[in-house]
Amino acid sequence: MKRWIAVLLVAIVTGLLFSSCGQKASDWAYIQQKGTLVIGYTVFEPMNYTDENGNLIGFDTELAKAVCEKLGVTPEFVEIDWENKVMELNSKRIDCAWNGMTILEELKSNIDFSVPYSENYQACVIRKEDADKYKTTADMTKARIGVEAGSAGETTVQQDENLSQAEVTSLTAQRNTLLELKAGTLDVAVLDGVMALASVGDGTDFSDLMIVPGIKLSKEEYGIGFRKDSPETVAKVNEALQELANDGTLQKLQEKYPSVMVTLKAQ
Amino acid sequence: MDFWQVNVELLQGFGNTCILFFVTLALAVPLGLVVAFGSMSRFLPIRWVTRMFVWVIRGTPLMLQIFIVFYVPGLVFGVQLGSSRMAAALVAFVINYAAYFSEIYRGGIQSISQSQYEAGAVLGLNRKQVFFHVVLLQVIKRILPSMGNEVITLVKDTSLARVIGVVEILKNAEHFAQYGLIWPLFYTGLFYLVFSGLITLLFRFAEKKLDYYKG
Repeated sequence: MKRWIAVLLVAIVTGLLFSSCGQKASDWAYIQQKGTLVIGYTVFEPMNYTDENGNLIGFDTELAKAVCEKLGVTPEFVEIDWENKVMELNSKRIDCAWNGMTILEELKSNIDFSVPYSENYQACVIRKEDADKYKTTADMTKARIGVEAGSAGETTVQQDENLSQAEVTSLTAQRNTLLELKAGTLDVAVLDGVMALASVGDGTDFSDLMIVPGIKLSKEEYGIGFRKDSPETVAKVNEALQELANDGTLQKLQEKYPSVMVTLKAQ
Repeated sequence: MDFWQVNVELLQGFGNTCILFFVTLALAVPLGLVVAFGSMSRFLPIRWVTRMFVWVIRGTPLMLQIFIVFYVPGLVFGVQLGSSRMAAALVAFVINYAAYFSEIYRGGIQSISQSQYEAGAVLGLNRKQVFFHVVLLQVIKRILPSMGNEVITLVKDTSLARVIGVVEILKNAEHFAQYGLIWPLFYTGLFYLVFSGLITLLFRFAEKKLDYYKG
């Protein structure tokens, strides 16, 4: 009896040791062989969220499905704890982290990123008549700047060497900064790029306002995260993303989820 | 989102909470007895290994054990032991609770006086018969309050499974909080309270049932 237990233990340990130094198949071969791409996400509108009927929808959800169709694998969505994404990838519990993920330098030593496919930034909005006066942040050191209190825009202004010198007013809502701009009590409004794009320009109530072109503060690019050293998988997905940009799928998703700023263009 | 809709959503998470609770209990209660026998074994290596196991399991956070069960096979050995998050959480819970239960059992078993074994032997019963026919029921009666404590702790520990993405009731409520609906997060406390209240009543009933027998 006791001898059997000992034999069993030895067998288990050797088994584990052997499997650990088994053949190293490429990451893509591994995914292709099992036929599924396991996608780690968190609930995050507009990227991945559920509709009233409990179906998982969102920009990233639909994009991932489209990419998987191109690659000939089945997508499998798994909700994860976002802090554990590197561990989830390395232990092969997920094959990619796809959730409006900001491409950070600090993460590149542990994660392989796809090409950036969308972005977010803080935009500077001015009156159209000031277009020549404010072209860069260096022109705004003496301007009256409005931000929403507690917003990313406020933090951006505080950290920018030029903008922080200006007279900064914190208002209660991003929209109020645009009203004040129109009224002439502010010169520059710093707000979320998504909101700025949707609120100003021709055909809106703020048609006399404009976004200063070329200023993208606190710019973040979104990419898909893969296991480190999986160049083949990344190349396959990049290729599929480009095809989707070329055939207009990405364009359609952009129209369906207008707050996502898609950057990947057709070639 | 109205009150009933939130309840329906929360009940889905509560289902996972219940699976974690009942399966852990069903498996850890007998496994704990095996571990208890191991830690009382007269064969020294087995006793030593078992006590080492209990020390490690009780001496490290359950959250860490959940991580280890779920990630280490893939990270260190490159093997995939199925993709079920629930299964991994259950393995960690069962191992952890078996270790705690085993110490409660050991305390109960060793509290029975040696003279009862001797009396049993005099009457011609072997050790096995003495244990199952004389000792066990007294042990059950004595350990009930401590077991009640541990079982109620298990109700609340189920919320740890979220660290590997098992969506139990608390995680479910956080989805609401993320989009500005904060009250469901605190409302989940009511689910836990009712659950542990029922268990308290159940244990009280069991203790009363066993009261006829003065050990």
